[in-house]
Amino acid sequence: MSEELPIQKTEDDSTSFDSNTPITGQTKMQAAWSTNNDLENNDAQVATTQQGQIFEQIYRPWEGQLNPRWMRNWSILRHHILGIFKKGHRPWNIPTKLFIFFVIIASMTDVAMALLFGMIGEPTLYGIWGVNRDNLYGHVMGFFPRNILYYPIVAALLVGGMISEDRSHGTSAVYFSRPINRFDYASMKFLSVAIILVLIINGTLAIYYFVDILVMGKGWAWIIDTFPIFLATFICGLILSFTYTAIGLSLSSISRGRFFPAIGLIAILMGTKAMASIIDTLFDKSVLYVISPYDSVAHVCQALIGTEMTYQHPWIWSLISVVIINGLAIYLLANRVSSLEVTRE
Amino acid sequence: MSSKMDTVWSKLDRKSTAIAEFTLRQYKTRLSTWVVMIAATLAMMLMLLFYIEAMGSEIEPFDNDGDSFDNDGDGYPNGQEIKEGTDPNNPDDFPADVDPDPPEKWINEDDINWGELSDGENYVGEDDDGDCQNKDTPSQRDSNDNGNECDISVRLDIQNGTFTIDADGGVDEDPDEDKYGKEAGHRAFILGIGKFGIIYLLGIFLPLFLATGLIREEMSDGTIHYILAKPIARGEILLYRMLGYIGITWPFIIALCIILCIITGLTGPSEDLFRWEDIVVWMSIAWAAMLVSLVYGTIFCGFGIIWKNGVILAILFAAWELGMAFVTILSGGSSSIRYVSVIGWGMIIVDAGVAIAWPDNWYLIEVGLWGGGHGDENWLGEMSYLALPGAEPLSAFSGGHNLGVSNWLALVISTLVLTIQGIASWFIGQSVFKGKEVD
Amino acid sequence: MIPDVSQEGKSTAEAWKPSENTPVIMFDRVSKSYGRINALGGVSLGISGGVTGILGMNGAGKSTLFKLMMGKVKPSSGAVRLFGADPWKNPAPYSRIGFVPEHEKLHDWMTAFEFITTFSRLHGMTKKEAEIEAKRVLEFVSLGDVLHKKIGQFSKGMRQRVKIAHALVNNPELIVLDEPLQGCDPLARTTIMNVIKELGAMGRTVLVSSHILNEIERITEQIVILHRGRILALGNSHAIREMLDQHPHKIMINCENPRELAKELMQIEQVTGMSFVDSESLLIETKHLGEVHKQLPEIIIKSKQKVTGIDNIDDDLESILKYLTGGIL
Repeated sequence: MSEELPIQKTEDDSTSFDSNTPITGQTKMQAAWSTNNDLENNDAQVATTQQGQIFEQIYRPWEGQLNPRWMRNWSILRHHILGIFKKGHRPWNIPTKLFIFFVIIASMTDVAMALLFGMIGEPTLYGIWGVNRDNLYGHVMGFFPRNILYYPIVAALLVGGMISEDRSHGTSAVYFSRPINRFDYASMKFLSVAIILVLIINGTLAIYYFVDILVMGKGWAWIIDTFPIFLATFICGLILSFTYTAIGLSLSSISRGRFFPAIGLIAILMGTKAMASIIDTLFDKSVLYVISPYDSVAHVCQALIGTEMTYQHPWIWSLISVVIINGLAIYLLANRVSSLEVTRE
Repeated sequence: MSSKMDTVWSKLDRKSTAIAEFTLRQYKTRLSTWVVMIAATLAMMLMLLFYIEAMGSEIEPFDNDGDSFDNDGDGYPNGQEIKEGTDPNNPDDFPADVDPDPPEKWINEDDINWGELSDGENYVGEDDDGDCQNKDTPSQRDSNDNGNECDISVRLDIQNGTFTIDADGGVDEDPDEDKYGKEAGHRAFILGIGKFGIIYLLGIFLPLFLATGLIREEMSDGTIHYILAKPIARGEILLYRMLGYIGITWPFIIALCIILCIITGLTGPSEDLFRWEDIVVWMSIAWAAMLVSLVYGTIFCGFGIIWKNGVILAILFAAWELGMAFVTILSGGSSSIRYVSVIGWGMIIVDAGVAIAWPDNWYLIEVGLWGGGHGDENWLGEMSYLALPGAEPLSAFSGGHNLGVSNWLALVISTLVLTIQGIASWFIGQSVFKGKEVD
Repeated sequence: MIPDVSQEGKSTAEAWKPSENTPVIMFDRVSKSYGRINALGGVSLGISGGVTGILGMNGAGKSTLFKLMMGKVKPSSGAVRLFGADPWKNPAPYSRIGFVPEHEKLHDWMTAFEFITTFSRLHGMTKKEAEIEAKRVLEFVSLGDVLHKKIGQFSKGMRQRVKIAHALVNNPELIVLDEPLQGCDPLARTTIMNVIKELGAMGRTVLVSSHILNEIERITEQIVILHRGRILALGNSHAIREMLDQHPHKIMINCENPRELAKELMQIEQVTGMSFVDSESLLIETKHLGEVHKQLPEIIIKSKQKVTGIDNIDDDLESILKYLTGGIL
């Protein structure tokens, strides 16, 4: 240590205060701060005491047994997912829970219809509602009402406060003070939203397919015929859930409030779709649909499932678009979470 | 009460400018404001690119009546042979004293020339290529039996908005696709981007992003306490916050409309350098978008006050309005359920503006849908015509205001209705805010 | 009325006039409950002039009291009057009030000067007037040098002072400070306490809430103790202290040789017990705290012992409350 102190000791320390000093605020305050409050030129009282003591520092390594990483991650995951069903886990708000319940019921209308007409033996009406290529596609990718009113809004409600509220409430700091790294944190958040979406979309799809088999007593030949289609549709459901989750969570990671990610997700999904359909109507060009996440996924799924193509451009373009959209979203999410400040904002 | 009026409700101008200014600066410091505005601008520009591309490329001419072909192979196109009075199917019969025309000359050779129409029956049309005049008998030349040879009878009923076209064969049967398609495409683009892009998408998403949290975010942050501890009524706070919101959205909408107006005005088909007549349409689009975003903003801000998850209500409301936008556009302005929406009234403003700026718009649509009178008879015996390019989109995005009053009055009425909607939602919002306990 | 868009010139409208001869603050049997939780139960209170400290543990109802006063929440029953007006219905009295909320969140993106100017204008000041006022109040809390710094860069104590400055801008007759000392370091505490004292000296009615008795006592003698939504004690802190003196107090003295000192301290009549905690500290028990403290310095000087610290170890709010409530907290 050099002799020169980095900060000059104030010269005038003669000012003293006792109970008789008149209260003027100004003088006392300066004394209290021992400085003029000039941040540029910070004078501070420097301790002059000669005595000092150095404490011996002994670090004892913690020798306890840490649970395996998957176990810690599993607890985050179940904390989020179980919150939908019972108390004591992540408190999802009531409207979100109600809406999820409503969507599960509403997306099983085709199950109910197929059952109804299958039971009363109405072959034409059963033909409209029963399991076939188009109906399987429609269960996952149908635009109205499923992909305008149900799935995007569920995704918006789920991602709404997923990361942003953790930041504003300071709970992300609670996570990061545990032996959990940011990657695990973000991926568990991602998985929990995706799993809830998959439960809704693919869960009802599976119910639709298997109920039809059981109730209508379909034979093995039929099952062998349709199972690949069902599997393709199932994969489509996964892609759709993944895409919605990726976009939503990346929005949630860049914002603070609960409003922005929810509205942002819907704005991106609906806005691009609306733009592309205006251009399609006006100039008969479907290329712009590649900027719409929904349409790109739908196009890829049409190719996978083998239903009639409703777009003119090659489906490979849409596939590339799906990859790019998801890549961008995941990149944004990873980038934001790795640089996330864990202060309460 | 009067003493209250003298006190809290005094110096409003100063308070209003203070809060509006504060709100504006708050928007300016938020990244999300800029992201939303840049994204909106980019989206509009992207759509504009498609429009510019469409305007720059020529629509391929189509020989609607097939007279550019040479059936008998004598080198003369059918149209020329008909005009000269020789038999197009006999290789030995051709007008030897004239040179054969190139086939392109007989494509788009009989363009539509109808002129003004009035209520009742109109006799219009002109046989430019002479393929009607050259028909043998008077009854062939007057196939629509209206007593005039080689014309088109258009029966127009302004009251019911019906339009019946009955043409003599060979009149205006080969219109110019490029000329029509560009004009119709240009108008359809303005209406499409105006009604859906600006009035609906911007009109709903700007308020969703910018207005929903106007009061609610202050409440959840706790910063609202600073404003609430001032001698200012809560209704005023809401009003002036909305003023600040307008201060950022309205200039944005106006700027966007001006840019789009200039670009489309220069690019669009026109005899002048600029399409001056479009300005009124753009003004009505901007005006409608401004009013609609104000009403939505007040409603969404109110939702934010009512409930901390007000965004859910706002999204549901936006879905309803989306439905109404579709209903209004698909019905061409004839459904009455649109009166219980905001967007429906916004579209009435545009439809009235269109009727003022382009009085021939509906007529252009009908002509394009008729497209020269080619098509098939369906099983009911009605003709289903092959429309000209651009006619169907223009028809889809156009609509009548159907208020049964003059266009200017329709403008005034819809403006009034939207203003009343705005005031009512402010009133509801402020009474909720007044009764709200703020923790 | 032509809008004063240019924002220049003097304010024209007259200030709101309170009804005469009414107390500044009046609570008449006010209750407030949130659902099943009774935050305030039948509080009656009238305050005019001077600095008053509102004391209470967390959840005692201090914040609810202030929220009712500032018209943030509606009383479940009873009447709240500020200068004779109902703050829930009429925001006019706020023109004479300065309020410092307990919330820490401020508009971090503004400078201190902008923040205060903007909010002053809500009192109907013109831009010019507001700027002059903002300078004045920021000088008053000695933030004059950092006028144009973003609030986001301020320390907790500075932020707290910005909040106080913002409340002083309209020369208020009543200043309400909700936990102004919370989370501040000792230096900031002293500063803020001095500001409050000075405001009191200027003849304003000041209301300060805190859960630390010592802090309040350094500011004022007039205190109100709230507990579980009820007023437990009210009045001069000396008087309350006198009553409290009837119950045993403990004083901890840190010195080199406690046994020597103890001998000397036996002289004081009021000392009822003594014990040695460790080799360097002595614990005395008494029922008359004031008396002991009066005699203590003299005896210590006489004994020539080196005393490093004297502490009233149970002189905090908790022990007073324990005493006042008969041990049931």
